[in-house]
Amino acid sequence: MAFADLNPFVYVVLAGVIPTAIWRWAGVLAVGGIDEDAEILVLVRCIATALVAAVIAQLVLFPTGALSQIPMPVRVGAAVAGLATHILAGHRLWLSVLVGEALLLGGYWLA
Amino acid sequence: MPTPDLPDQTGYEWRWFAAGLKGIFTLPALILMSTFVGFAGLARDAGLTLGQLVFMVPTIWALPSHILVVAGITTGAGVLATALAVALASIRMLPMTMALMPRLRANHTRQWHLLIVSNFIAITAWLFTLRHVEDIPRNGRLPFFAGAGSVLIVGVTAVCAVVHTFAASLPPLTMAALTFLTPLYFAAMIYGNAKLPSERLSMALGMFLGPLFVIILPEANVLAAGLLGGFSAYAFRWFHRRRSAA
Repeated sequence: MAFADLNPFVYVVLAGVIPTAIWRWAGVLAVGGIDEDAEILVLVRCIATALVAAVIAQLVLFPTGALSQIPMPVRVGAAVAGLATHILAGHRLWLSVLVGEALLLGGYWLA
Repeated sequence: MPTPDLPDQTGYEWRWFAAGLKGIFTLPALILMSTFVGFAGLARDAGLTLGQLVFMVPTIWALPSHILVVAGITTGAGVLATALAVALASIRMLPMTMALMPRLRANHTRQWHLLIVSNFIAITAWLFTLRHVEDIPRNGRLPFFAGAGSVLIVGVTAVCAVVHTFAASLPPLTMAALTFLTPLYFAAMIYGNAKLPSERLSMALGMFLGPLFVIILPEANVLAAGLLGGFSAYAFRWFHRRRSAA
């Protein structure tokens, strides 16, 4: 069932609130029971990283609303440049945000 | 461990709650709130009402989960596929909670106290509390964390409400720039957290597979990309380690 078929609050609770909160509660109950450096947690981090990366790419390539008025090559170029700035310029978050936003708006006006 | 210099071993020292409130005046808190400026724009663009937004922000209280839910709403993903993606992205809460809880516990702390404050766990308040917890007496630690967690939740929810309310009067291009903050921040943050080569490979695979699965499997594209990307990157690590061991 998609968002449109359910009460929106029910969708948020079932799809967002419960699947997030259970891990906090499990963490309270499991204190001392699991090795925090366990190899299984590396797999967990890999899956979580890929999930969030997939969402990022989706937001850039298939945006809804206002962002969709900006041409796709501009969006992709600005996002790639923002990340590249972060990697090359010593993990300065503000700088990568600044570069990404400047290219997004600059690219829109030039395009 | 009880703190020997305290006469009252049965109650919490709630003055530490006020000390925790100061967590809002830190650079990470500022970054967190500006990230949610982008998220509020994104959520509004996805069609969420003000009520739905101020409900989901404090109750979910984990930005990757927020974004996965909004992405699920916009692509029309089923509730089960979105819930699975959120659950997989939130497992990191488990070791985070396990690391913090023994440090918060006072002599008289009951498990239900910890279950309640565990709902405040998200990266910003967690890091802030871990940084200061050793300098706080045992009876003040849980109040300190509750203060830091609640002030961040209230502050961020207020920021979201303000952005959602005023977004309608903003020019479309400003909205586009606001919404674009979310992928920019997130790309930088997950790259910063990805220390292992397999995590960086996961990031690259996720970015490639996510859009691909929008075309192949639109109702569960994020879940499919996350599982396939994450398992493939882990398999790479596993084979690499076996070859190095042999």
